[in-house]
Amino acid sequence: MDLFAVAWPYWHQFFFIIFAATAVGFGFGVLLSKNVVRMAFYLVLSLGSTAGLFFLAGAEFVGAMQLMIYVGGTLVLLIFGVMLTAQKDFINMDTHTQDWILATIVGGSLLMVLLFAAFGAEDWNTPQDLTDAKVEATKEATPLGLALTGIRVDTLGETDDAVQGGKAGYLMPFIIVSVHLLVVLIGAAYMARTKKLSHATNDKSSRAKLMLFKMEHEAELLEEETYVVTHRGQSALNPLDPQDDEN
Amino acid sequence: MASSKIDDPRVIEFDVRTDEMLINMGPQHPSTHGVLRLVLRTDGEVVSDVEPHIGYLHRCAEKIGENLTARQWIPYTDRMDYLAAMNMNLGWSLVIEKMLEYDLPERGRHLRVIISEMGRIASHLVAMGTYGLDLGSFTPFLYGFREREKILNLFEEACGARLTYSYLTPGGATADLPADWTGKCRQFLAEFKEVIPELHTLLTTNSIFVSRTAGIGVMSAKMAIDYGCTGPVLRGSGVYHDLRFHGEERYTEMYDGYVFDVICADPATGKYPESNYEFHGDSLDYPEIPRQAVLGDCWHRFYVRMLEVVQSVRLVEQAIEKYEATSGDWGTPIKLVQKLPVKEAYMETEAPRGQMGFYVVGNGDSIPWRVRARSSSFCNLSVTAPLCQGILLADIPAIVGSLDVVMGEIDR
Amino acid sequence: MADFVNHILTLEDSWIGYIVAALVAAVLILHVVAVGALLFIWMERKISGRIQDRLGPTRVGGKFGWLQTLADGIKLIAKEDVTPDLADKFLFKIAPYVGLAASYAAFIALPFADGVVGQHVNTAVFFVLAVLGLEVFSVILAGYSSGSKWSLFGAMREAAQVVSYEVPLGMCVVVPVMICGTMNLTTIANMQAGFFTNWLVFNDPFTFLTAIVYFTCATAGVNRAPFDLAEAESELVAGFHTEYSGLRWSLFFMAEYSSMFIVAALASILFFGGSHGPIPIADVLGLLSLDNLGSSDPAFHVFNEDGGGFFASLNLEIAIARFLGVANLLLKGTIGVTVMMWVRWSFPRLRIDQVMTMCLKYCVPLAAVGFLGATAWQALDLPTGNSLMNSPRYSHHELWTADDSESAVEEASSNEVQTPHEDDTHAAAKAVKLKTVPVSVVKGGGR
Repeated sequence: MDLFAVAWPYWHQFFFIIFAATAVGFGFGVLLSKNVVRMAFYLVLSLGSTAGLFFLAGAEFVGAMQLMIYVGGTLVLLIFGVMLTAQKDFINMDTHTQDWILATIVGGSLLMVLLFAAFGAEDWNTPQDLTDAKVEATKEATPLGLALTGIRVDTLGETDDAVQGGKAGYLMPFIIVSVHLLVVLIGAAYMARTKKLSHATNDKSSRAKLMLFKMEHEAELLEEETYVVTHRGQSALNPLDPQDDEN
Repeated sequence: MASSKIDDPRVIEFDVRTDEMLINMGPQHPSTHGVLRLVLRTDGEVVSDVEPHIGYLHRCAEKIGENLTARQWIPYTDRMDYLAAMNMNLGWSLVIEKMLEYDLPERGRHLRVIISEMGRIASHLVAMGTYGLDLGSFTPFLYGFREREKILNLFEEACGARLTYSYLTPGGATADLPADWTGKCRQFLAEFKEVIPELHTLLTTNSIFVSRTAGIGVMSAKMAIDYGCTGPVLRGSGVYHDLRFHGEERYTEMYDGYVFDVICADPATGKYPESNYEFHGDSLDYPEIPRQAVLGDCWHRFYVRMLEVVQSVRLVEQAIEKYEATSGDWGTPIKLVQKLPVKEAYMETEAPRGQMGFYVVGNGDSIPWRVRARSSSFCNLSVTAPLCQGILLADIPAIVGSLDVVMGEIDR
Repeated sequence: MADFVNHILTLEDSWIGYIVAALVAAVLILHVVAVGALLFIWMERKISGRIQDRLGPTRVGGKFGWLQTLADGIKLIAKEDVTPDLADKFLFKIAPYVGLAASYAAFIALPFADGVVGQHVNTAVFFVLAVLGLEVFSVILAGYSSGSKWSLFGAMREAAQVVSYEVPLGMCVVVPVMICGTMNLTTIANMQAGFFTNWLVFNDPFTFLTAIVYFTCATAGVNRAPFDLAEAESELVAGFHTEYSGLRWSLFFMAEYSSMFIVAALASILFFGGSHGPIPIADVLGLLSLDNLGSSDPAFHVFNEDGGGFFASLNLEIAIARFLGVANLLLKGTIGVTVMMWVRWSFPRLRIDQVMTMCLKYCVPLAAVGFLGATAWQALDLPTGNSLMNSPRYSHHELWTADDSESAVEEASSNEVQTPHEDDTHAAAKAVKLKTVPVSVVKGGGR
């Protein structure tokens, strides 16, 4: 009982440890897993825990954005792609040792840079008082929205004119990113447009060719090698399959 | 030859491209009507080829017919198109009567019209209900079955069975209709006429149903004739052919004196014959044809069935009046071991699913030498493969359902 | 509530209060989910039976078969737990829980009445939409990990559908947010308190259109007929959950029914007044005046810290008002779910390409038109539903205002500051206070 009473002020740390552990743990899961689909799922859980960290920091809007955009958008796309292409041979990804070494070097140096930055910034070194009005006040999404349209209401209390002038709104980047996304959307729609269906006619002709082939080679014994397939669904020795489809 | 191609494992991988899947639909599947196996070649959503595999319900009915007398084989006809068993019985009875050159009394003829047209209504109700069920509309199925229950109750009173009747026999029927049967039949018809507009609202003119069926599986008249399609499948493509009008005399004279239409659109105008409901004294008008429907598509085949139901209702009403007006023998059945003459006879009748033909070769004995059933659904099913090329996966139940096949009839 | 529990147990800001409060909230929400699923499954069977001219369950638990779902649940629990050989076992097992977790989490921010909410989230609308979008993972994982082509098909189709319909859904949701000027669901609901003419659905014709489009997109987003090709029984046997049986299967359906309830409740909060009924009962009965909705004034909290003992510290009138609000919202949510069921049993199913056509060619443009129209209506200050009936809107918005009067700065700088900065750059920022300001969005109606 006493232990809990003593531990209570540290509820924030407790939840932080849970979320951080899951985020990092599932990140390791992505690294160490061999199954592509499971990797994608662990990534989902990892980014979900990151959203939890955002909520814990009081940034509800960013947390919801993380869930909606990263987890609900990007990762759905990722899992879609992984799931559709993960046929029998591609599910297990065995990483070679040299890849591990290279990745450790690159990832490790990035980690060093981030750690230096994280521990170096003064503002991040000292605990903030949670009753700080500035921290509390950013709960609302209104200042964010206003900032995106160019009005920085969170710096209204800024007395130093020199600093105030430098804190402009984010209207320009917002417009640029919006146009960029529009371009991406149009490009994706263009690339995914329906092309002419040539399956049916192609198939009829290949079936007819198969009939012809069989009729011509009726007398021959059908040896196993003639029809051996090197890869499921795709025959390397297929004399009929044109291999140059008009897809 | 086709089945050997698919079953030979070497050849499957020989022929399938990397972006294609061979998917098996059935034989156990909620929307293939009966034990039908459809092997689909699809790339995920677009189907490039469909191959029906049949034979899962083959029960050697024709071979058994070489060991039974004519009347003993009637239950086997029941079990062919088990949803329209009365019409199957009728076909077999007519061919035996043709062989024996036996003519039915008047009352028996009207009795047969009542029974076969009621059977047609019952069969089309199942066709309509299961078609809606395939497409996701659960309610009209139950409404149709509610009405079908009433028909089945009437049939049970007439012959004692609800599904496999063996009622119509060579020579007539096993028994006359009970005394109050026609009164109950009239009552059923009165109730049923209220239900038909509900079914039109739920299915025929429902915009989602129309968008699922209009323009899908369009079959030209030439294709329908080439593949040997009959019944609503043929008439839905605009071919004016109904055996009740254009068949053999022995069959068409059964419908002598009756006023009804052949439900077929004029290919030139695309219009169906007028309902003439004032003349018939009911309020059964035909719903409008939607803009998207193309003659020969699934919607038109469905529409033909719905309008045929109206025709059957009118036929039954007329038949009841004629039946009650005539007196005399209803048609006693022939002897159980009636010897068949040394000749052959073939007769086709207009069953609900198409033209059902029976062929019998007699050799002087009471047991025929050869018995053969020409099934309507068999030829109708053969048109699945060309119709289902290049369509979406979800259209397959729409097309197969519009052909209205019953496996019992196909496999016999 | 945490303070109340601490007060009852005469503890001073202890952890016990918070844990108990959290547990009570979680269990209450779990009840909504579980009992809701029970009720909705029973309702579905009865309603579908009646539409199809038959009775539905009539034996278990009396004449109306109340306990039928319970009996089914017991049967499902007792079933053998079968996992297909080709299945990815871990993903196969975890898929239903992902969906249920997403559905359950969305209830956190859903206000059942003014002040009765799991967690008071300011960006509640956004949060609920974000969390509901996570449900698609359970479908994808289930379909993939079942190891069968049919399940994969169903999962693919459903994922495409759900993700596509999030777009018009979001656009429809933006309209009430724009009209009310806040994403806080409690505030949006409170702004519709009063007579039903205050409801946003009657605000202007474009909002009416938006409400209809929202309901359609919501039905598509939770995979209900006519958009239920993922579960299309007659085509793919059962789609993505073909290989699931027993309790795992029932978890999918619990998630589906609770999602249905969430979107229906969201519709009623955004457009149909939420916990505030067609007539302001609480105001009429004198329990809680409309002026005091959403106020942070402690006098209008259910639990009073001043009184001693349980009943003295319970503000009874406010409690009854809140209770009526909760019942009202549950009723509206249930009506929404009933409409979804009604539609399901009346119409055939749409094909996937027709579903996508409907989304991209019909729902998105209609939602956009609704949004533009509603914005124009607000901008041009045209008469709205509530102004025609002369009834104003009351609420308490949480606004972020800067109060840089001298007294405030002094007060702020006199506080104990824990920051290492010795200068006063933060003092001015600290003068910024979070106030709740009563806002009356009046259009032609006097106060």
